[in-house]
Amino acid sequence: MACPEPLQLQAYFDGELEALAASQLEEHLAGCPQCSAHLEELSSLRAAIRRDVTPVQAPANLRARIAHALEAEAGAAAIARPAPRAWRSRPFWLGALGGVAAAAGLALFSFLLMSARLGGTLADEMVAAHVRSLLPSHLIDVASSDRHTVKPWFAGHADVSPAVADFAEQGYRLIGGRADYIERQRAAVTVYQHGPHIINVFSWASGRVLPPANTTRNGYHLAYWKEGNLEYCAVSDTGWDELHGLVSLLKELSERSEAR
Amino acid sequence: MDDKRGRFEAEVLPHLNAAYRFARWLSRSPADADDIVQEAVLRAFRGFDAVRGANVKAWLLTIVRNCHATAYRQEERRALVPLPEEHDAQDGHALVAATPGPEGESIRQDESRTLERLIAGLPPEQRTVLVLREIEDLGYREIAAIIDVPVGTVMSRLARARAALRSAWLNESTGEAHGLS
Repeated sequence: MACPEPLQLQAYFDGELEALAASQLEEHLAGCPQCSAHLEELSSLRAAIRRDVTPVQAPANLRARIAHALEAEAGAAAIARPAPRAWRSRPFWLGALGGVAAAAGLALFSFLLMSARLGGTLADEMVAAHVRSLLPSHLIDVASSDRHTVKPWFAGHADVSPAVADFAEQGYRLIGGRADYIERQRAAVTVYQHGPHIINVFSWASGRVLPPANTTRNGYHLAYWKEGNLEYCAVSDTGWDELHGLVSLLKELSERSEAR
Repeated sequence: MDDKRGRFEAEVLPHLNAAYRFARWLSRSPADADDIVQEAVLRAFRGFDAVRGANVKAWLLTIVRNCHATAYRQEERRALVPLPEEHDAQDGHALVAATPGPEGESIRQDESRTLERLIAGLPPEQRTVLVLREIEDLGYREIAAIIDVPVGTVMSRLARARAALRSAWLNESTGEAHGLS
């Protein structure tokens, strides 16, 4: 066999030659130092490329941007995702947690300095936690529409045990729960879906007599209320009416369970 | 809808790093690469229903390449008009003039990245084919589909890219023991 065309030798090197042609070429290679040398050149170049070229990864902020864009695009579709892994295995989440811890520390500090500003810091913290929860795989640690699954989960993962129920009939579907770090404690977060919107309901133990006033930050509404020593905050991009709908359902629920 | 997002995250997002790498090689600018990849992923999501069972990585890279081509044409049109974002202006120039940006400069100083720098210096059409073959490990047919040329063109561009890269590499290492004959 005569020496193959350079493109054919290259195709052999790239594994693109069909079996018969490849075996013929191998026969030729055995007796042709020139072609063997050319093959060796291709191979050493590939090795050098793979050694020298940095394996670049998509940066975390790009991933976050994409998650946001997909969120906007998909709306309600945010919920259906594979069972979430433990958050401890996610370095990004850990970084975020550190950030939240720092923010919470700052919140306490500003409380000591000027308690009047606490409401603002807390609201920012809450909105940050809400937005972060919308990143892929951050929304839910325990995915369930059954309050008998979600509520016991909080016992091991949060410092409080909030009122939990599925209000699917009223349009607020319970989709799961999550632990988050708010006001220097492990807050319990129940996650509801209302139409295309996600509503995060944060709950934590509070020493305040009165909850902060309802407010709007970056387009997200925050509704606060208190039940016993638990403080609640519902955060979402729904309208106020829809948000208050869930708030009154949750208030009724707490009252009913207290009356029992 | 729910199902679509979940499938998309499971099937397409694993190729996000490849998409980003490819965008970096195409645009030679991290900031442009970010924009290109974000746009590409959104387009991919919109068209996701149509690609069941296809080669998802090659499909995503095709969209990245198209997004880059669109961005490149826009840059060309306003090549000399100052851009609104200050850092984009610089990147835009790099894109049009095909000279390395600030990042290329830092790579230059890093001797261990010789091949990376030499690949960056290849003509774009050769660079694209070489990167898809050697770094993303794609086959001729996939590459042909991504850049929309016949397989024969992929083969000849790849051969030219390898020859040019090899000779640049030999020039670079003249007198040095690189183990090359």
